[in-house]
Amino acid sequence: MAFLALRSLSKVFGDFAAVRDVDLGVEKGEFVSLLGPSGCGKTTTLQMIAGLAEPTAGTILLDGRDITNEKPNKRGLGIVFQSYALFPHMSVAENVAFGLEMRGVNRAEREARVKAMLQLVRLSEMAERYPRQLSGGQRQRVAIARALVIAPPVLLLDEPLSNLDAKLREEMQFELSRIQRSTGTTTIMVTHDQSEALSISDRVVVMEAGRMTQIDAPFHLYENPANAFISSFVGKMNRLEGQMRGGAAVIAGITLPCAPAGLSEGTAATFTIRPEKIALCAAGQGLIDGTITSRFFLGNTWLMQVETLAGSLAVSLPNQGEEPPRPGSPVALDWPASALRVEEGG
Amino acid sequence: MLKNGPVSLLFHSLVVGFVLAPLVVICLVAFTPENTLSMPKFLTPWNGFSLRWFRAIFEHPDFTASFWNSLLLATLSASIAVALSVPAALAIDRMEFPGRASLNALFLSPLIIPHLVLGVAFLRLFALIGATGSFPWLVASHVIIITPYVLRLVLAALSGFDRSIEAAALTLGAGPGTVFRRVTAPMILPGITGGWLLAFINSFDELTMSIFVTSPQTVTLPVRMYMYATESIDPMMAAVSALMIALTAIAMLVLDRAFGLDKILVGQK
Repeated sequence: MAFLALRSLSKVFGDFAAVRDVDLGVEKGEFVSLLGPSGCGKTTTLQMIAGLAEPTAGTILLDGRDITNEKPNKRGLGIVFQSYALFPHMSVAENVAFGLEMRGVNRAEREARVKAMLQLVRLSEMAERYPRQLSGGQRQRVAIARALVIAPPVLLLDEPLSNLDAKLREEMQFELSRIQRSTGTTTIMVTHDQSEALSISDRVVVMEAGRMTQIDAPFHLYENPANAFISSFVGKMNRLEGQMRGGAAVIAGITLPCAPAGLSEGTAATFTIRPEKIALCAAGQGLIDGTITSRFFLGNTWLMQVETLAGSLAVSLPNQGEEPPRPGSPVALDWPASALRVEEGG
Repeated sequence: MLKNGPVSLLFHSLVVGFVLAPLVVICLVAFTPENTLSMPKFLTPWNGFSLRWFRAIFEHPDFTASFWNSLLLATLSASIAVALSVPAALAIDRMEFPGRASLNALFLSPLIIPHLVLGVAFLRLFALIGATGSFPWLVASHVIIITPYVLRLVLAALSGFDRSIEAAALTLGAGPGTVFRRVTAPMILPGITGGWLLAFINSFDELTMSIFVTSPQTVTLPVRMYMYATESIDPMMAAVSALMIALTAIAMLVLDRAFGLDKILVGQK
């Protein structure tokens, strides 16, 4: 039995079902991300777990106890809001101490626990400051400290990194992961950013239109997306229409090696391949010839578009210190047979 | 810090001078030894200034009684207006219910009805219910005319309020009452104190309506001054005004020293 379990959870607003019949089990100490585009129901799901939204149907079990109808102030969960929601009229230390104060923890213990928590989030020097005197990253760490100091059974994070600039966001991903691992708190994070979800979660739950469509470990999710939506939402994906013939893909009359699939001869299928699994080689020496139509330098990688007879393919090459051919150059593409796959659920 | 150019400095000085000039004049006139509203003579410093009109105030016990009456009236009605406006503003700002817009308009309507009209209306109403000259009903009438000021300021403080801050307090274990006391109220405090002060000043200063609804026992200071001035114009009026200016200035100074005026009126520095 999972530590936190959602059973057939639904939330209906008027005639719009924000969350439909969702089932999820989260193990103790696990870091799970709810990933999806805006309006997919991920935030509503989080709010129902927090007790801030009332489910239309279904139950929420925490450690075997039914908390579906429990008031949010009795659930004792830690929540970090997208806006951080710090108390502007209280100092950092007072913000963090608030939850302990509400639990009637005595002053001496309160101070010790606040101090330890501020140390964990590396904000010991800022204890007497007010939220308005802090940077975005510092505010967010205060919000995490405030949620964690009450030692919640579950920590809920609502788009915790979306208000930070790109560099800080990357730093905070690791910081968040470090803090979560050092406290061992079961964590559920809502995000629309696939790289965020992949990098710090133990498991990723993809949500589409109120349903959970895939629940998987990040690597497995990336390698085996369950449907067309997930394959293009999580990472980049090339998609080609063709047929299965003799255990190979036939796309626009060209036979290309692909991963085995249990499809009968001549079945139409969508084939997918990740841009980074395609290698660039000299014209005539690969599986298929083509011409480079554009190339973008991203620092650590080059993103190229190659026009072939089978269609236009995106190719991602690691930057190894040498400039790849310019647009207009004839090239060939190569890949291991296992990289080209038949799309599931398509 | 933005620096003012010479032209804008001159302009600001003129505006401030224009606002303050009448107050300076009235304060000077209060010290005249003459029987008319004249300036004291600056050339003879010791004989030119006199405190006789300040002494005169205290020889009129009806003035001191009216002052205390006005102070009590303004304090009570401003406090009641705050007690009514905060829940009303919370309901109007946060709840969806039929008649929400009408309720808002109703609370604000005293702003657009002339006080003269209200005065006549209250006079008639109080006569009908047999409450003429009663102090509680005087308070009630003042509450009605000053509530819009408080409601506006509290509503302004509530607009743009991040509700997730309250949700955060709730999830940290605070009950709804504690959330209001520890989070919501402190965050809208500038609106509440600003509204109270504005309401207090409006009530303390109100003349037009009060003329109709006060009785000889409940005459407010502005009404007393008005009645006195219609009979005789002497420098005692200037002395009363000077005292009121001094009291207001002292009150502001004390408030600023104790809490910081910018903090309670504008919010965190």
